[in-house]
Amino acid sequence: MLARRVLQFLIVFASGLIFLMILKYSLTLSDYVIPSPLDIWHTGKDILTVYFFDTLNTLSVAIIGQIISVFLAFSVGIGARKSTFAGSFIKAAAYNIQAYPIVAVAPIIFILLGDGFITRLIIAAMICYFPLLLSIIGIMSEPVTDIEHFYNVTSRMRWQLEVKIRAFENMHKLITVISGSTTLAMAGTIVAEFIAADRGIGHSIRIALYQSDLSRILTALFLIGIFISVYQGMLEWAGERIGNRWHVSN
Amino acid sequence: MILSLTNLTFQYPDTEIPVFRTLNFSLDSPGFHALFGASGVGKTSFARIVAGELTGFSGQLYIKDKSIVLYSYNQERLPGWGTIRHFIDSTTPSSMIEMKKQLIDIFGLSDCINLRFSQLSLGQKNRVNLIRYLLQEFDLLIMDESLANVDERLRETIILKIKESFPDRYFLYISHNLMEITKFSDTILIFRDIEKIPQTLTLKGLDIASREMPDRDRLETTVLEVMNAC
Repeated sequence: MLARRVLQFLIVFASGLIFLMILKYSLTLSDYVIPSPLDIWHTGKDILTVYFFDTLNTLSVAIIGQIISVFLAFSVGIGARKSTFAGSFIKAAAYNIQAYPIVAVAPIIFILLGDGFITRLIIAAMICYFPLLLSIIGIMSEPVTDIEHFYNVTSRMRWQLEVKIRAFENMHKLITVISGSTTLAMAGTIVAEFIAADRGIGHSIRIALYQSDLSRILTALFLIGIFISVYQGMLEWAGERIGNRWHVSN
Repeated sequence: MILSLTNLTFQYPDTEIPVFRTLNFSLDSPGFHALFGASGVGKTSFARIVAGELTGFSGQLYIKDKSIVLYSYNQERLPGWGTIRHFIDSTTPSSMIEMKKQLIDIFGLSDCINLRFSQLSLGQKNRVNLIRYLLQEFDLLIMDESLANVDERLRETIILKIKESFPDRYFLYISHNLMEITKFSDTILIFRDIEKIPQTLTLKGLDIASREMPDRDRLETTVLEVMNAC
């Protein structure tokens, strides 16, 4: 699973590079616009270590942001699963906020909190929180009637049991949603770093952009892709292990 | 009398034809009673109305004060994260522990009690589901095809055990097995098409309580009565 994800990314990345090279040589673009493969290789080699730690820094913020989002989304999703006023209100609010580009709110956070870890974390968490929340509300508010019926009619249903039943029955969906939110968390962190931050791969991309250094940008993209693929692969592997442990059927 | 329905009329929203029109029925004595009829005539809707799971009907529904009515159906499942033993134990009142052991044995589930629900056959799943309902406190238990996919002989054993163990409770058994209904039921409420008047008929079954073969002529006569009534 992990290897397949990395391989898929390598294929996509290689295709992108080939496309750039076709563009470069067919339009006879200068090395300043699109560097030659050798330039990309040399630049990549030179900055790989620095960018590796920058990406690791970004990923660690994204992971923490994602964990916060998952916890928040579960808390709110569980609270909003009933068709009460509060539940309906939270659902409607989540749908509306989801439709709003969170990135546009990022400057306000920078103005209020300045650049740094907390700001990056909040933006990462915000960007992956709302899609997660909507999925989790959807899953938690859908009764599993065939299982819940007995507990309801015998007055044995407790909210913990209800949540456990719904989470168990939708385990694959939950794993897919959480794994998918990785990309959002990473994108959120990079956007935050790109707007204003003093570290992280987004910050490095911003510097490379000011220098119009496509080799550096491509190296950063390569590392981001590899890191996301590995992390998503690990999440899916962990999800599969949990599923097997719980005997979740496919 | 635990249950009485007078002039029950029910129609699902956004449909043009009612499921029942002025249906009358009462359940006077404890025992094993049945609902019989072709698919789609309203047996399950009737059962869910009696159990309080379906509203929007007109007419009068009387259920004796504080009576507990449970409705079980054959597609119910147990959660998948534990064994059958775990879920049955966790929902069995302490007063029913001895009964639990007996039912597990008689229902032929001793060998699969440590398996998970998804590992059982369809017949085993239905038996497990029925057991957990039988172990609850109830006055009337509606069993909607609760013994589907169970072989004939074991079905008889189970029905006889239910009749023997719970003589003071009411059961409403929904099944498409004509012979079984006829042999073991006390009262049989037959559901017919909405166009037929009356829509339901009540007949007496043989109410057999042991494995003894009933009188052949009586059995044939009752089976024919039920068939003709449909």
